[in-house]
Amino acid sequence: MPAPATCVVLGLGNTLHSDDGVGPQAIERLRSDARVPDDVALIEGGTLGLELLTYIWDCSYLLVLDAVDVGQPPGTLVRMSSQELQTLPGKGSVHQLGVADLLVALRVLASRTPEVVLLGVQPASTEWGTELSPAVAAVLPALADAAIAELCHRPHRQEEITT
Amino acid sequence: MARIVIDPVTRIEGHLRIEAEVNSGAVSDAWSSGTMFRGIELILRGRDPREAWVWTQRICGVCTTVHALASVRAVEDALGIEVPENASLIRNIIAASQYVQDHVIHFYHLHALDWVDVTLALKADPGKTSQLAESISPWPKSSRAYFKAIQDRVKALVESKQLSLFSSGYWGHPAYHLPPEANLLAVAHYVEALEFQRDYIRIHAVLGGKNPHLQTYLVGGMSTAMDPNEPQATINPERITLLAELASKAQAFVDQVYIPDVLAVAGFYRDWFERGEGLGNFLSYGDYPLGGIKDSSRFYLQRGAIFNHDLSKVHPVDPANVTEYVTHSWYQYAGGDQNGKHPYQGETSPQYTGPKPPFEHLEIDQKYSWLKAPRYQDQAMEVGPLSRMLIAYASGHPEVKAAVDGILAKLNAPATALFSTLGRIAARAIEAHVMAGQVSKWVAELGDKLGHGDLRVHNGEKWDPDTWPKEAQGFGFHEAPRGSLGHWVHIEDKKITNYQCVVPTTWNAGPRDAKGQRGAYEASLLKTPIADPERPLEILRTIHSFDPCLACAVHVVDGQGRRYTVPWVS
Repeated sequence: MPAPATCVVLGLGNTLHSDDGVGPQAIERLRSDARVPDDVALIEGGTLGLELLTYIWDCSYLLVLDAVDVGQPPGTLVRMSSQELQTLPGKGSVHQLGVADLLVALRVLASRTPEVVLLGVQPASTEWGTELSPAVAAVLPALADAAIAELCHRPHRQEEITT
Repeated sequence: MARIVIDPVTRIEGHLRIEAEVNSGAVSDAWSSGTMFRGIELILRGRDPREAWVWTQRICGVCTTVHALASVRAVEDALGIEVPENASLIRNIIAASQYVQDHVIHFYHLHALDWVDVTLALKADPGKTSQLAESISPWPKSSRAYFKAIQDRVKALVESKQLSLFSSGYWGHPAYHLPPEANLLAVAHYVEALEFQRDYIRIHAVLGGKNPHLQTYLVGGMSTAMDPNEPQATINPERITLLAELASKAQAFVDQVYIPDVLAVAGFYRDWFERGEGLGNFLSYGDYPLGGIKDSSRFYLQRGAIFNHDLSKVHPVDPANVTEYVTHSWYQYAGGDQNGKHPYQGETSPQYTGPKPPFEHLEIDQKYSWLKAPRYQDQAMEVGPLSRMLIAYASGHPEVKAAVDGILAKLNAPATALFSTLGRIAARAIEAHVMAGQVSKWVAELGDKLGHGDLRVHNGEKWDPDTWPKEAQGFGFHEAPRGSLGHWVHIEDKKITNYQCVVPTTWNAGPRDAKGQRGAYEASLLKTPIADPERPLEILRTIHSFDPCLACAVHVVDGQGRRYTVPWVS
């Protein structure tokens, strides 16, 4: 019998930088959401870099929630697949290793590379502040819904159901 | 395909800026500037001293645990609390394993790419790499097939333009001297070290509840329950076995991978034993109490100071002789900025007088840094693994002396070669070797105590603030991976009235003082040859050899006043 698939949702960002905290805030929201499947680990990644390897090392499916600057109106939801994520620029400093570097580390290290999906929100502001801007706060429920949809339709889960 | 820019993705604040003047192909002067204000000291005022460690630990996300330890020790010193032996032992295990973890990460992930050209690794012959690996170490992962597989993975990254982790080097720079096979070996170990650090730091997850930012410190000891018969206890026989296993794996990695790699790299860069010398003054508070915290003569790593490269004399150290200057820092002192202040009288009154960003030049003859300039007996001092290892070596520390002499013999270099950029790298590796061994010993001791029913981890006699004097002050120290860390706390009516942290990178990266004496980074860069001012790899080598705990930007000014702005790569 195969081991249960490990599925991780990783919320990234600094909760002290207003909209940059949308990832961790979404994780908070998902913690009290009954629709989250049982085999899913919810991780608040904060601003950590490679330390997060521990949490995603063995996973077969990784969903990243993060603020993403894609030049769209504030509050726009974005979805990126594994393929698109491979073109993310890395950060210039090792003390600022970003999600791109984390994913590359996984590619170099792990025997199997997990399926990765990123759900991002265009921030309005990343200035000091513990509150989300109205535009981003308004999209938080939709982000949670989108995350649930991803979790329920991930390929590995379907395999499990069919086998 | 369109380029997607993601910003912010993660945000970690903290910046270092170096401005260097280059004349006739070498650095003629340098200025080091911390470009971020740290206000934790102000946040602590009025708070319960028992919670200070939770706050101070957040000064840094990289040097996790070190500020927690310095903080609980400061409050314990103020209130006259002695911690139980078990607590001291557990703190030693956490701190020593932090050295091993940090030093490995520093060498492979923060510093190696200053010496290793990843693109050249692709040209290596995996068979010859295997021969090289087997000639320097018994480490089992050394087959041709293994190196071929690593090379293929890296090749795939390069071809997909996804270097990412490896994208930050000045590839092709003339100062890279390693043959392709040594580059491939180092890249393979870079990858192995990623796996190592992920596994090893479980020691902290066990003893600290989580990593980073351990949660098990307490003023008076630790909150790590010990119980031989309780599967839920933090420390039980099963956990001791796990800790011992992790400690022993780390010793093997350090001895069979890290040390041989440092020796191999150093062999190709011998001229760096003559560069990056710096101040020649070295400070260590000493650490790893084997008796009580007050008995510095029984610290595993000695307390002491060395002045003017003189290894024949280790001077005693009294923390009362520490002062901080703000003459060139963006702060003001009530009594004027020309005088140093001991941290008990320390003030944190920020006053930015620098140019409005974006700017080209710092006002180097005025104030130019958010770091203060710490001094010991009015001397600028270097802190860190090199300081600790020199002081231990000069004090006749048996394990350190054996390890240093062994390394020097293999490199065919005298002890004075340690006063250099490569000396810092070698000292860090030696320290990792020695402390990896200590982790094993201390874990075994803890297991013994558990077996003998000595389960006390906390001294709660003075937990209740009603037992405290109306006023108290204390000094807490820790030799953190990057060097001497001091916390000074003043407590009045059960609350913190003043708190000052003097951190390792402030010692090393701090600016000039009232007398114009350079800080450690500034001094170490003098005379560094620069092959190409637009790609100042040589500056990075020396600054990185200190293991700076900051994200950085380098600016180079040449003799004609031309300015090069170079993205910092760490």
